Amino acid sequence: MKVSLFEQVPYRYLPAGFEDQYSSAVTPPYHIVDPARMQESVFSAYAELVHGARAGFDGIVVTEHSQSSYDMSPNPTLLAYAVACAAQAEGLDTAITILGRSLGKTREPLKIAEEYALLDCVSGGRLIAGFPVGLSYDANLNASLPAIETRERAREHRELILKAWSAPDPFPWNGRYEKYGQVNVWPRPIQQPHPPVWIPGTGTPGTLRDILRNDFGFVYLSWDGPKLVGREVFDRYWAMAEEMGRDRNPYRLAFVQVAAVAETDERAEKEYAEHLMALYHGGLGAIPGTAMAVPGYVEPAAIEAMLRAGGPAGMLARMKTATFKDIVDTQVAIVGSPATVADQIEAFVREFRVGNLLIMLQNGSMPRDLTEKNISLFAEQVLPRLRPIWDDEGWVNHWWPKAGVAARPDAGAGEGEA
Amino acid sequence: MAGDAVVRDETVDVGDGRLRLHVKVAGNGPPLVYLHPLFGLAWDPFLDKLATRHTVYAPEHPGTSPGEPRAIDQVQTFWELLLCYEELVRGLGLDRPAALGQSYGGMVAADLAANFPPLFSRLVLLSPFGLWRDDAPIPLMEMVAGPPEDLPKYLFADPHGDAARAAMAPPEDPALIPAAIAQQAWNVGCTTKFAWPIADHGLGRRLHRVAAPTLVAWGRQDALAPVAYAAQFGRSIAGSRVEIIDDCGHVVQADQPEAVWTLVSAFLAE
Repeated sequence: MKVSLFEQVPYRYLPAGFEDQYSSAVTPPYHIVDPARMQESVFSAYAELVHGARAGFDGIVVTEHSQSSYDMSPNPTLLAYAVACAAQAEGLDTAITILGRSLGKTREPLKIAEEYALLDCVSGGRLIAGFPVGLSYDANLNASLPAIETRERAREHRELILKAWSAPDPFPWNGRYEKYGQVNVWPRPIQQPHPPVWIPGTGTPGTLRDILRNDFGFVYLSWDGPKLVGREVFDRYWAMAEEMGRDRNPYRLAFVQVAAVAETDERAEKEYAEHLMALYHGGLGAIPGTAMAVPGYVEPAAIEAMLRAGGPAGMLARMKTATFKDIVDTQVAIVGSPATVADQIEAFVREFRVGNLLIMLQNGSMPRDLTEKNISLFAEQVLPRLRPIWDDEGWVNHWWPKAGVAARPDAGAGEGEA
Repeated sequence: MAGDAVVRDETVDVGDGRLRLHVKVAGNGPPLVYLHPLFGLAWDPFLDKLATRHTVYAPEHPGTSPGEPRAIDQVQTFWELLLCYEELVRGLGLDRPAALGQSYGGMVAADLAANFPPLFSRLVLLSPFGLWRDDAPIPLMEMVAGPPEDLPKYLFADPHGDAARAAMAPPEDPALIPAAIAQQAWNVGCTTKFAWPIADHGLGRRLHRVAAPTLVAWGRQDALAPVAYAAQFGRSIAGSRVEIIDDCGHVVQADQPEAVWTLVSAFLAE
């Protein structure tokens, strides 16, 4: 299987009690920030991703959020571009995944087409193009677009971007949301007709059907770990795949998992617990629930079903008050020795047929030295156990870059892994 | 009197047949078109009273009719929404009805009257949206994206008073609550499509076109659309009357039902 290092860009020095006073999205007050610590926080994200690429992760993954203290990545292409250049300079065969620019939020979809294409070029054809609709707070509050149009906008933008990447000649676009007279993206992606497309989502039937119909990759991006909602979402996915005549290739499926590795289970808890809880309490847990579904973002039937089920599934609604025990028992985070972490990950990966794993190793307030230890230990002692998992079934990972162009500009062509 | 009106449903096809609008109709007398606020159409005691003197036509905003959520997709812009309502008035065969709009519905009614000056015989605007001043921001986004328990503080002079409690009461049958919450959230999604993040489509540059005699009523304690806007509506619409109501929040007919009924009924009878 392929294992990528997933990283967000939190401000790592939130004051104690932040979550009791403030939200981590839309309205977090900027006066709490120390500029030097901000510099350190954003640079560390870059340094850790490069560390991960050097340590042998198959790829790096970044996401987009605006007006947020837990992920200061308003345009993830910037960070990804820096990592891609570093990987090129060092001859590393590292896939670059953006998960991604929010299609329901953007007012300039052609910018996304251009920036992704540029990334695919500079990385030598190693881009994985994430096409999320976007979170409600990002699209409807930060970008202030009407909630009820979010998905329709995202659909149009995806169609436009895919066409712009491979159309041989300039073309006009008379869309509902966008109008362009002569679309002609320079450069176009090296991977033609387009880089692998991954759609992150929480696994609603409509999203899954769209993904399978188009043969895109599905990224189950939930923060809930495999135990709470995994069974429901993955079973739904594979049942639908079968219904729609798709094969059981595990590389169709990607999953985000938080993990923390130390020499022993005890040491892992001691070293990582406070930082993990900073993620859950002051980061994800401090996103107001109402900001995740501004009226119009979710159809009435889905809201009604959610209310009848007693509230939102998974951990998000109770993360703010979760204990470390809640988090590890539910596998929202997998924490322990290399053997513990590898055992737990291998079990759910095999059970749910996950072929592309996205591991999040920096969390909350975790400092750079500890994060890099986490990355190194994972790469040295967990990753080797995961990588061969699907080899015996012989599937081809069609949702991974072809990397037809050499990692090092002077190294000649054809050394990339297929 | 309240609750006595027999309400029937009518439908009118508009937009070259792409959209079927549902209209609640009740009462007797000269026609009056009622345009509802953000949260959808709720047939309240105020509408019952109106129905004692008028035939009230209350269209449901596109997308808010139960079972037809995606009807909203048939209306792409605010301009198209205005065209739909103008077609609706003609489709119902109404000859110069009066129009009464509240809050979001007030913005729609005012813009219809500005776009189509002969359409309405009289116009009543209850704390309408439609204008924006930086010194009097309308916290629409804060209210809509905030916790539901904060709604009363935006809508009523006394967030804990009887008017607020009555308006916020969930359905008596608990089994109906999830559907009611879901429907109301969707209704707000449909109306805010044309009011987001700021309900300003340039109405201020068109208000001078309104030809119908107009009454503007506003609650002095309006915490959603500040009362400062009342004078601007009054100045822009020639010959209009502006009434400021004391001890009254945004939902004027709930906070001060008698005072509002006295004003509105007298104005409509002139």
